[in-house]
Amino acid sequence: MASSQADESLSLTKIESEGRWVNRISKLDLLWFAGLTVTVGVLVDVFNSQFWFWQYVVLGTWYVTLVAVGIHWRAFQAAFLTVVSAALLGIWLYSIGQTPANDVILCYVLQGYAGVMWMIGFLLAATGAYLIYLLTLSEKVGRVATGLTWAGVLMGFIGLGVRWRETYIGHPDWGHVPVTNLWEVLVVFCAATALFYLYYESRFKSRSLGAFVMPLVAAAAGFLIWLTFVQHMDRIAPIIPALQSFWMKLHVPMMFVAYANFTIASLVGLAYILGDRSRRSGGGGILARALPSGEVMDNMMSKAIALGFLLFTIATILGAVWAAKAWGGFWSWDPKETWALIVWLNYAGYLHARTSKGWRGKQMAWWSFMSLWVVTFCFLGVNLFLSGLHSYGKL
Amino acid sequence: MAKQISGDAGYSRARLAINFLGSMRLAVSLLVLLAIASVIGTVLNQQQPYEDYVLKFGSFWFAVFRDVGLYNVYRTNWYLAIVGFLVLSTSTCLIRNTPRMLREMLEPDLVVGSAYDPRWMVNNVKITSPLAIQSASNMVVAVMRGRGYRPKLHESNGGVVVTGRKGRYNRLGYILTHAAIIVFCAAALYNADIPVKLDMLLGAVRPENNFHIPLSEVTKKAWLSDNNPAYRGTVTVPEGQSTQVVYELVGNGYLVQPLPFRIMLKRFHVAYYSTGMPKDFISKIVLYNNEGTVLKEANVRVNHPLTYHGVQIFQASFVDGGSLLKMKRYMFNDPGAGAVDEQARVGQSINLSGTTYKLKLKGFSLDNVVPADAIESQPGAAHKHINLGPSFTYIAQSKSASSAEFKTYMQPITRDGQSYFVQGVRTAFGTPYQYLFIPTGPNGSIGLFMKYLSALQSQVGVNSGESTKRYVLHTFKLVVNKYAPSMTTEAEALYFQSAISAILQLKAYPVPFVVTLTGFDHRWAAGLEVTKWPATVVIYWGCAVLVLGIFILFYLPQRRMSVALRALADGTEVIVGGASSRNPYEFTKEFEGLVARLKSVLQSQDDRKENNDG
Ligand code: HEM
Repeated sequence: MASSQADESLSLTKIESEGRWVNRISKLDLLWFAGLTVTVGVLVDVFNSQFWFWQYVVLGTWYVTLVAVGIHWRAFQAAFLTVVSAALLGIWLYSIGQTPANDVILCYVLQGYAGVMWMIGFLLAATGAYLIYLLTLSEKVGRVATGLTWAGVLMGFIGLGVRWRETYIGHPDWGHVPVTNLWEVLVVFCAATALFYLYYESRFKSRSLGAFVMPLVAAAAGFLIWLTFVQHMDRIAPIIPALQSFWMKLHVPMMFVAYANFTIASLVGLAYILGDRSRRSGGGGILARALPSGEVMDNMMSKAIALGFLLFTIATILGAVWAAKAWGGFWSWDPKETWALIVWLNYAGYLHARTSKGWRGKQMAWWSFMSLWVVTFCFLGVNLFLSGLHSYGKL
Repeated sequence: MAKQISGDAGYSRARLAINFLGSMRLAVSLLVLLAIASVIGTVLNQQQPYEDYVLKFGSFWFAVFRDVGLYNVYRTNWYLAIVGFLVLSTSTCLIRNTPRMLREMLEPDLVVGSAYDPRWMVNNVKITSPLAIQSASNMVVAVMRGRGYRPKLHESNGGVVVTGRKGRYNRLGYILTHAAIIVFCAAALYNADIPVKLDMLLGAVRPENNFHIPLSEVTKKAWLSDNNPAYRGTVTVPEGQSTQVVYELVGNGYLVQPLPFRIMLKRFHVAYYSTGMPKDFISKIVLYNNEGTVLKEANVRVNHPLTYHGVQIFQASFVDGGSLLKMKRYMFNDPGAGAVDEQARVGQSINLSGTTYKLKLKGFSLDNVVPADAIESQPGAAHKHINLGPSFTYIAQSKSASSAEFKTYMQPITRDGQSYFVQGVRTAFGTPYQYLFIPTGPNGSIGLFMKYLSALQSQVGVNSGESTKRYVLHTFKLVVNKYAPSMTTEAEALYFQSAISAILQLKAYPVPFVVTLTGFDHRWAAGLEVTKWPATVVIYWGCAVLVLGIFILFYLPQRRMSVALRALADGTEVIVGGASSRNPYEFTKEFEGLVARLKSVLQSQDDRKENNDG
């Protein structure tokens, strides 16, 4: 009797503990955590004298985010390590006196420019593969598409990492984070959109959406090609005094990560609308077969918009803090700022509409899809058509 | 009785109004309306001088647009009214919901009410288990606790209900977000010069419209109080001078804001990259009080403002602060007369003696860095930049002729072996300059050219035809032998060619003189922006609260589980219910996993029990 009671309480303890999240942490996760902790410790030790309050805050935020993201999405750990080691290899090659002119690896792979060109190539190929996948639903093609996208993302971030170092070479006073002109931010946009797409793909097991998201990335890559070969915007140039700010380094990349999420949500919205139409008209079409259920797409859309909204809010606040330092006011109603507010209000409207009953599925998909134009105008249109304080990204 | 009824009606009407104000539909409409209204100000350049708008729209539409407030949309009453309405609506919503949410959040034990009846929850499943109710509830508690639901047991008529929830602070996210938004909007409304607007409405303050009068003549009504709690103004200070006021632009005029100290600009400096692009703008300033005590001395740079007792000083812009220019003027219609010396400051005008012309000195630029290939004709210079040195611009006006604008470089510019005095000319503003290249002689001035011109002019018309060419060359030789005997033959040939093309160019030259720059005393003026804005701390905390609130709302959803157990003759009936505040799809997945686990433990125990019994 006593043993049976002990037995029962033992099994209760087992049942209880099996649901805990700690059980889902693997040895690799622990290694990831330990590695990051040591790295951060070393960084703090080395830069202790140079850091000020906000640098510690930023470092701490990176640390927590990387640990959490890596554990939540294991593929990220490998990707992160690949990018960091390859970029460090490139930087090391430069530091021992190699240059793209005398070093094959630098010339064709690790140089910032070469990395970006590889990224463009891989992402264009991936787009084609996703389109073929949508038509054939061949698992093999699907895996190739995912693999090509990964390759593009890795090369893009490696290229950016090495370019960061390259901005200092020859002109130490030019050095800057590579997010200061249209060319550089488009690279960030392509790589970030593809990366977040990969995340949603693995999370929702929905490869067919690549045929909707990646064509836009391909369009951005095409634009990048034009900027490179016609406008020569890939040249490293010094930055004007207003851009030499601690806050810019955070504000700009975060904006583009938010845009990436909004873009994905919009294109999933488009897929939803077309899938819905295809299902309604008999259900025999390619889209009806290939696309995930409306529920999954709806969920993916709202996840992407939620993350985008959070990041966009933080990025806008960082922009305001920067403006307060550079121009003496948090908010100057300059066109770019105002359009950021419009984007923000638009998505706030979206989130509110979602929580009230009448708005569901198709209407929200339309809203999400139409928001693409608002976001694109904020990102590109303002620079092309309107003038103001933010005229850094001009063509 | 009648009183009672009207009171009731009033009450319910207020209720209706509050319901409307706090409704989600209104929130969505207001957010979208505000977004659309914001577009206007980005399409039309805001706060330009009124003359520009008149030119653009014509006087009729100019007046219409002015009255609607399109030149400063974000400060019009209608725009502020939308924002005010949003604040009102958000506050209503917040005030109505907060008490309920707080109560729900802080409830120590979940009361079993209809909200926790599993049969009414969004997800619900019925399981029958052969286990006795006691063991079954132990299992349920274990499974729920393992998944973070903090289960609580409640006895309820004949059975047991186990309730639990995660993310109980989700509602806090809602409260924080909306409270932060109210704080922001209130701060923004305040920042939109509400106090000044009120004063203007009451007539206590009236902006000055004349920008060309000294400070002492500005109407007293345009002066703001020195203990104004918040302001943002700009001022231009020339090097070596000081100011104790800043100017706030309002509509078509300005207001004067006194400062609690004097700002003296000691020096202004621009640092350049090797490409000629500005790298840094630095104002060395000194703050001192009325007694002349120095309070603070610092460099103000872009992105690095100076803060003194809550007042911040920013590097905003820079212009010429009235540099002194020394010039020489040569007359083309009397080239033999020699040069006349002129001297004036940038911004001033000079009457040219002996002519009907007046020169208005427009600007001075210390450095002119251009890509080398703009000057050198050889290829390969693509990435290099060269500094052409100082230049100045002026406008020549005369009563009888139309005006022209000139840009003149001080130093000669060498091109293909010959150095030139270079001057840009344009007769229509906004068009590109046409460049005049006059060759400079061995001493670097255009004196030799003027001598040659004079020699030619004194005998013009003597010969014609074939002999003109010979005569032109002959005169040239005479002039060179007399004034520049040291020139080599090669240099002479080059000079002659350049001189002839310059003479041909002069045919289209609009004025009868040329002015060269021989010296200058450079003086910058820095445009400084001065702000006092004590609410900054509020804004920063508001931002932090907003971000925290959004994070909680999105990533800590409230999830509720409720499991009702009822003893049956040969076991237990278990009804499992669950609901989530967001992401129903994901919650359904989690719920299905939890139910599957419950089923398996409740049934595997069943096997073991039978074994034990046997
Ligand atoms: C016009 C006044 C407003 C009202 C009446 C209102 C009301 C509400 C209500 C009832 C919720 C639902 C909370 C929940 O589902 O848990 C909500 C959520 C939210 N509100 Fe508001 N709100 C207003 C203005 C704003 C504004 C101006 C913003 C900022 C842009 C904002 C941002 C949010 C966010 C981000 C959520 C979370 C949405 C979600 O859970 O998906 N609200 N609001």
